Amino acid sequence: MVRTTVVGTYPRIGDTSEEQVLRRAIARFDKDEASEADVRAAEREVVKDVLREQAAAHVDVVTDGQVSWYDSQSHIARGLAGVEIGGLVRYFDTNTYYRQPIVTGPVTWKGPILVDEGQFAQGASKAPVKAVLTGPVTLANLALDRHYGKTRALAAAFAEALAEDIAALRTAGVQHIQVDEPILTRRPEDLSLVADTLGTLAARKGSAELTLATYFGDVATIYRGLLKLPVDVLGLDLVQGSKTWAQIERHGADGPLSLGIVDARNTKLEDPKALAARVLELRERVDLDHAYLSPSNGLEFLPRERARQKLAVLAEAARCVGGGA
Amino acid sequence: MTALETTTVGSFPKPDYLLSARAKASKGVVKPAALRELEEQATSEWLRFQEDVGLDVLVDGEQYRGDMATYFAENLEGMEVSGLVRSYGNRYYKKPVIVGELRRARPVSVEWFRFAQERTEKSVKGMITGPYTMMDWSFDEHYGSRTEAALAFARLLHDEARDLEAAGAKIIQVDEPALSARSDELPLVVKAVGLVTKGLEAKTVLHTCYGNYEDIYPYFNRLPVDQLDLEMSNSSLDLLDRFRRDPLKKEIAFGVLDVHSHVIETRAQVVDRIEKALSLFDPQKLVIDPDCGLKTRTVDEAKAKLEVMVHATRAVKSEHGLA
Repeated sequence: MVRTTVVGTYPRIGDTSEEQVLRRAIARFDKDEASEADVRAAEREVVKDVLREQAAAHVDVVTDGQVSWYDSQSHIARGLAGVEIGGLVRYFDTNTYYRQPIVTGPVTWKGPILVDEGQFAQGASKAPVKAVLTGPVTLANLALDRHYGKTRALAAAFAEALAEDIAALRTAGVQHIQVDEPILTRRPEDLSLVADTLGTLAARKGSAELTLATYFGDVATIYRGLLKLPVDVLGLDLVQGSKTWAQIERHGADGPLSLGIVDARNTKLEDPKALAARVLELRERVDLDHAYLSPSNGLEFLPRERARQKLAVLAEAARCVGGGA
Repeated sequence: MTALETTTVGSFPKPDYLLSARAKASKGVVKPAALRELEEQATSEWLRFQEDVGLDVLVDGEQYRGDMATYFAENLEGMEVSGLVRSYGNRYYKKPVIVGELRRARPVSVEWFRFAQERTEKSVKGMITGPYTMMDWSFDEHYGSRTEAALAFARLLHDEARDLEAAGAKIIQVDEPALSARSDELPLVVKAVGLVTKGLEAKTVLHTCYGNYEDIYPYFNRLPVDQLDLEMSNSSLDLLDRFRRDPLKKEIAFGVLDVHSHVIETRAQVVDRIEKALSLFDPQKLVIDPDCGLKTRTVDEAKAKLEVMVHATRAVKSEHGLA
């Protein structure tokens, strides 16, 4: 029976007043009418809602929706020494932005970045909660480097620091860890760098299931190389990265794949049966009993209501795959 | 063009009375006509401020718009508006959805352009959200092709530009903040913007911001507009080195105010940024403005920033003996 998971982010507000707790808390904080603790409390309420919505869709491995993340890069970067946070830069081809990390000195780990939020989420979820980390190569490419001078050296430094966070997550009992390297869809030539840095991360993961997530495009030209990486699950975006389908059909996969089949960038709702039929075409090449189905990337690019509907599509597609049709 | 002309990028913050009225209007408590009256009041106030502070080229301030893409979506056929999605930080917007064939049943921005231009002797810019950005910032449940959707927007936005020109717009700005979204689609940006600006007599401006300019730089001189309006200060003027190596052949509107910082720049900071721009660009082809629209600032912050900008520009002009 194929399992389901999500890629990380989830819309933190919805269109109803009750779904805008966090937005209001941050607005009050900005006007000095609320404390940081008030914002943290609001975030945790939203995390509980996000976990409830994933539970309602029977998602097997969930996330906290990355609700407390200001953006994909600075949340991790601001937890590291040697990094300052700069101006806004567009995040890949999305119409969202991240505050650009500026590397001004040696990058080192200051202390646990994701442990608190991971423990809170696991305490509020029956399903296992996956911790999500921005990958060292994506961080290195999207940061402004004023210290190392070479992306490889910077990525290695990020990897050493993130490996400490992975070890801390393990000590805290986290069973599922996902490393996001969307940069691979833009810079396939960075595969060897991803391989090296994943080696550093995998060495500290213990028995946790380690997923590499790629999204915002295809990885067709490096698919076979990705299969050799030291990870337990390979996450693929098969919507924006539809070219990767043919590679899976041709080469299969020995290890588990996470098949990103539900479009997390567009509101148009898919037919779950049609999605399931496509997935079933892979059954001779991929062990579907150990695979996941997922959205193509984090769901936060969609309105909350549509994210819920996409999760329902995901659940129904998985049910159809389980039923063989 | 006069040397070191000053302008702004388009949006200004809404005063509290308008924000409150918009919130009530969304619940049906304030009637559209009453809201319109307050939008006109706010627009008039911003026009007066721009004249008083001494800006050269004015904007209507977009007091009637929520989001730049959503406003056009609300006024085009074949479009709906989705629930809220996040832009960054704590900022959310209702994203357009293409649900059918796109059509412009009537002009979208012309009435507000007229309203503003009738109230000032100075030039007011006509403001169009660009075809590539409209496509990139919309969910597409109809075309299933980014190219088809962008070109459909371009065709109807050309009609909008023509109507703005007919209404007296001497400058038409096409906002393309999504320009750098996908470097492989830059030829599509050039084609779509070209469809919008084709045959216009008005000066055309393309505004973009917050992108990886390194990848898109080779396209700057190919964009079919007279002037590029660029965010420079948010990225610490990093682009200057590139301009030094490959000179820009167009006019440039050079962003000297970081619109995403609450901190009011000092006059010395802005003078320094203008001086750096002057070291590279002909003052007759150099426009001074903020990085982007100022709508994310408070009214007081926006005014204070613009006052600094205008005074700094005057100081530099005086220093260099520029008229």
